[in-house]
Amino acid sequence: MTGPHVEKFIVPIGPQHPALKEPAHFEFTVDGETVTSASVRFGYVHRGLEKGAENRNWAQALYLLERVCGICSHAHSTVYSLGVERLAGVTAPPRAQAIRQILLELERIHSHMLWVGVAAHEAGFDTLFMYSWRDRETVMDILESFTGNRVNYSANVLGGVKYDLGPAQADSILSGLDYLEKRLHYYMKVVNNDESFLGRTRGVGTMTTEEAENLGAIGPVVRASGVSRDLRVDAPYLLYADFPINVITATAGDLQARFVVRIQELFESTRNIRALVEHLPEGELAVRFPRKVRAGETVSRIEAPRGGLFYFIKSDGGENPFRVKVRTPSLRNFMSVIVGAVGHQLADIPMILSGIDPCFSCNDRTVIVRREGRDGSAAPSESDSRKDSSS
Amino acid sequence: MTTESLLEEAVQLIGDKAGGQSVPEPGRIDLTVEPARLLECVSALKDAQWGYLSAITGLDLGPQDGHLEALYHFCQKAAVLTLRVSLPRDGAVIPSICGLIPSATLFERELMEMFGIVCEGTPDPHRLFLSDDWPAGVYPLRKDFIVPIPAPRPEKGTAE
Repeated sequence: MTGPHVEKFIVPIGPQHPALKEPAHFEFTVDGETVTSASVRFGYVHRGLEKGAENRNWAQALYLLERVCGICSHAHSTVYSLGVERLAGVTAPPRAQAIRQILLELERIHSHMLWVGVAAHEAGFDTLFMYSWRDRETVMDILESFTGNRVNYSANVLGGVKYDLGPAQADSILSGLDYLEKRLHYYMKVVNNDESFLGRTRGVGTMTTEEAENLGAIGPVVRASGVSRDLRVDAPYLLYADFPINVITATAGDLQARFVVRIQELFESTRNIRALVEHLPEGELAVRFPRKVRAGETVSRIEAPRGGLFYFIKSDGGENPFRVKVRTPSLRNFMSVIVGAVGHQLADIPMILSGIDPCFSCNDRTVIVRREGRDGSAAPSESDSRKDSSS
Repeated sequence: MTTESLLEEAVQLIGDKAGGQSVPEPGRIDLTVEPARLLECVSALKDAQWGYLSAITGLDLGPQDGHLEALYHFCQKAAVLTLRVSLPRDGAVIPSICGLIPSATLFERELMEMFGIVCEGTPDPHRLFLSDDWPAGVYPLRKDFIVPIPAPRPEKGTAE
């Protein structure tokens, strides 16, 4: 409590509030309607999964880690499987890799469509929200008929996959994609042409290429700022080398660019799934996987719907993982919100927040960020009335 | 640029500041760095705009080994460069890199509360994601922290 006393008006929001669907607590310091600093606290859904993985064997940890996130669950189980298989010197058969990749891209479709709906709702455009969530049921039905589950598909096993893709399912995937593509064209028309929508998105939450690079932003957020950063192309895994995708970028860096990038990515996903379904390799679904994994360390990375997902896995040669480190894309991207919020109207905050498609369960941790202005100088916590119990 | 040439470039930048190097798997290089020289290395990478800080991993090698490790993973395309900083289990202190990379604050605070590694000079040392009533000095991701397992509840009908 040093320095001159500064009058501040802080708007606390959360942890439970109507704008976002998951718990987080925000404090926005405002001058009139303009945000001058932002802080956020997560951790309401912290479950200690990294420690939990150390207390389970390699196969059990797969099911635990699939539950890190309810939206990109297959991304988590795939990045873990790929890492552990690399450590053990096991390679999943090509057919299993193709099925994993199909599921990853289907998951990207449902994740991005969910986001289009949420973000449209934040923009006050509930018609688009209803449309996109109705249409998203198409891909959810595909996933359910494929794996039996809508959320945690549980399709991966160490060494391969559980579910095969038969001709009937292939047909239902292809016809579902036909319908989705038609709808995507409509969404594209709305986000590019609707005046009231553009009023909420154009020039809002802009992040320049330089800022995006400096903040180490990832996923559609950084691609909307003109940086070509996509692990599917930069470090191809599964069959992305043989069935490549094109990296979608935009230059504006604002919310509208993020809409355009995500929707265009969906066209790439549908194209990719079609190619995989039509050229599905023949063969086994899984190979035997040892109970113990030889000692070693690996870094496993894949492009989840929200950006690069990073796992560090260490084995000491035993039946359990020695350490599993999970770094989810939302955590890396949250810095861009803190920067993006400052200087904006309070009414734009829900849109800026939803622009990065934040996933709080994914974060799996608490974050408190305090900023004063855009120069990055950290604030001594003069406004912090919270009891300091951390030392 | 190939992954190999990217990693070569990184080694040229900071190889002389590091103690040793190893290649744990293709596409990766690990450099062992003394805590006192960490900032030099990060600063050289930042000045050359080599990749971005993807994560900081804390690692407890166990009470017998007596060491903690902090791994700073920098990623550029497919290349992953890891700065490995080894620290004693008692009194682990490492300089904060937030002066160079402000967004590292989240990672550093996770490292501090989960492993008891002090990031000296970090702008916000507050607890990150453990709850307010978590006991001080207990670091859950250390190997000697055993997750307490609640006693099983008696099954229905078997009590009495």
